[in-house]
Amino acid sequence: MNRAVLLPLRWLVLILAAVVSLFPIYWMVMSSFRTHEEIFKYTTLSKELFLPVHWTLDNYREIFLDPSKPFGRYIVNTLIVAIVVTAAGLVVNSMAAFAFAKLKFRFKRGLLAFFLSSLVIPYEVIMIPQYLLMRDFGWINDYRALIIPQIVWVFGIFMLIQFFSDVPRDILDAARMDGASWARIYAVIVLPTAVPAIITLGIMTFLNQWDSFLWPLVVINEEKKQVIQVAISSFQSLRGISWGKIMAATTISSVPILAVFLLLQRYYVQGITMSGVKG
Amino acid sequence: MRGYRSAIYEKQESRAAFLFILPAFVLLAVFIFYPMLHALVISFQNYNLIAAEHHFNGIANYRKLFSDETFGASLWHSFYFTLVVLPVQTAISLGLALLVQKKFRGVGFFRTVYFVPVAVSFAVASTIFRLIYNKDYGMLNAVLKGIGLPALDFLSNPDISMLGIIVLCIWRAMGFVMVIFLAGLNNIPDSLYEAAHVDGANAVQRFFLVTLPLLKRTMAFVVIITTMDALKIFIPIYITTSGGPAGSTSTVVHFIYETAFKQMNMGYAAAAAFLFFFLVLIISIVQLRVFRTDVEY
Repeated sequence: MNRAVLLPLRWLVLILAAVVSLFPIYWMVMSSFRTHEEIFKYTTLSKELFLPVHWTLDNYREIFLDPSKPFGRYIVNTLIVAIVVTAAGLVVNSMAAFAFAKLKFRFKRGLLAFFLSSLVIPYEVIMIPQYLLMRDFGWINDYRALIIPQIVWVFGIFMLIQFFSDVPRDILDAARMDGASWARIYAVIVLPTAVPAIITLGIMTFLNQWDSFLWPLVVINEEKKQVIQVAISSFQSLRGISWGKIMAATTISSVPILAVFLLLQRYYVQGITMSGVKG
Repeated sequence: MRGYRSAIYEKQESRAAFLFILPAFVLLAVFIFYPMLHALVISFQNYNLIAAEHHFNGIANYRKLFSDETFGASLWHSFYFTLVVLPVQTAISLGLALLVQKKFRGVGFFRTVYFVPVAVSFAVASTIFRLIYNKDYGMLNAVLKGIGLPALDFLSNPDISMLGIIVLCIWRAMGFVMVIFLAGLNNIPDSLYEAAHVDGANAVQRFFLVTLPLLKRTMAFVVIITTMDALKIFIPIYITTSGGPAGSTSTVVHFIYETAFKQMNMGYAAAAAFLFFFLVLIISIVQLRVFRTDVEY
């Protein structure tokens, strides 16, 4: 084939793939601006199928005003859980990573192997005993069940170890000679050099928590305490709820995340790449 | 004096290290390793939360699993899903990566656009596709009818409902895998392509003789994580079809969820989870061996 055919073909594929990538999101946003009737009305290929005829914000108003499904509450619940897990996770995981990457101590290799061996344990296996544990602790329907078991993330520790390894040990020893404690060295010297890694891990943790579904589904049964993803799925089992409202809910839950994600995608991509290429 | 001081330093360093690791260690022990052992114990018990009894019953759970047709079917659905997703998704993602690998005007735009679905949660993606697939007013059927094809009931026809879920999963994951491939492609030195070019290799030959062999490590990573994730598919099943119609989309994790948290049969579910864990582990090990590579560049 010659270039005259290949080049337009290439652009065709590029654009087609872009349309496929964006279309479902476009569909979600457009449906959220439609009235209840409109979604059922236009079912043939026409302009009306792709653009709302009577734009409306009612769906958004209604999901926030429905007292039986307090959508604002779900957002706050999820934000609290996600922020606390992210903050606590960054502290706990970076501390462990610092020790593994830079400090000398007995049983280091054994401990690291112990940590890494947990990576092969699939979540689905420990979900059942974790649930029983939460019952014994009295944490069912309690945010502690959503937060505390989620803090430690061995993949995150592994990623940070690779970043921290680049900090020269000489600097740490010099600080030590000057009388700085290890806690101070960790906080003042090591952490600031790893800001990109911390941001990467922070975004990944936050997104994981924002998207978390199976675990909240299992441990939270009380309507008011539910997190956003499970709440959205439970909208669909209600009779008489309109798709417009469901799409308004999904739009609110994903568009802010998309915006943040696009701003910080460089860090996220870096995280994936590191795990894929070095790991 | 010096030796004495450094001995103190070493001791302090050791102590500091343990304190740094302690919080992560405790959390890991309590919430990952203890449950793992507990799961093993429960899997040998008749443990039902409704009957509020649990007693040891040996390998009865495992024996029952081998003759349980529902479990067998769910296992097959997970594997069927994986067997389709793995080659199709890998090929599409690699194709996208090759398309946007070289710099051209607008390359950043396309890379970002392909990556956007990764930021959409599984629950939201499943919900959107459920609307798009709807038989009566879904967009997909409107288009099919518009171009003169018969309408398809994607989520309640047992023959094609799994395909509907497969498409949605590939849509959501392809950008993620593309990024991994891009990183792998960028690691291949240009000099190798130039050498191949000088030797007279055309684009297709360069792909099969240079790109693909040197992408082996990235490919191994992609294949292994895709397999693991695909075998564990749950959220789209739960949201779009709840395992239906007629159990035709129930996967292993869906089976485990139903058994543990609907029937409250913890022992049986734990046994199923363990059996599944070993299957996944064996598959990963085999894949690692297959992809073991000595290529250095």
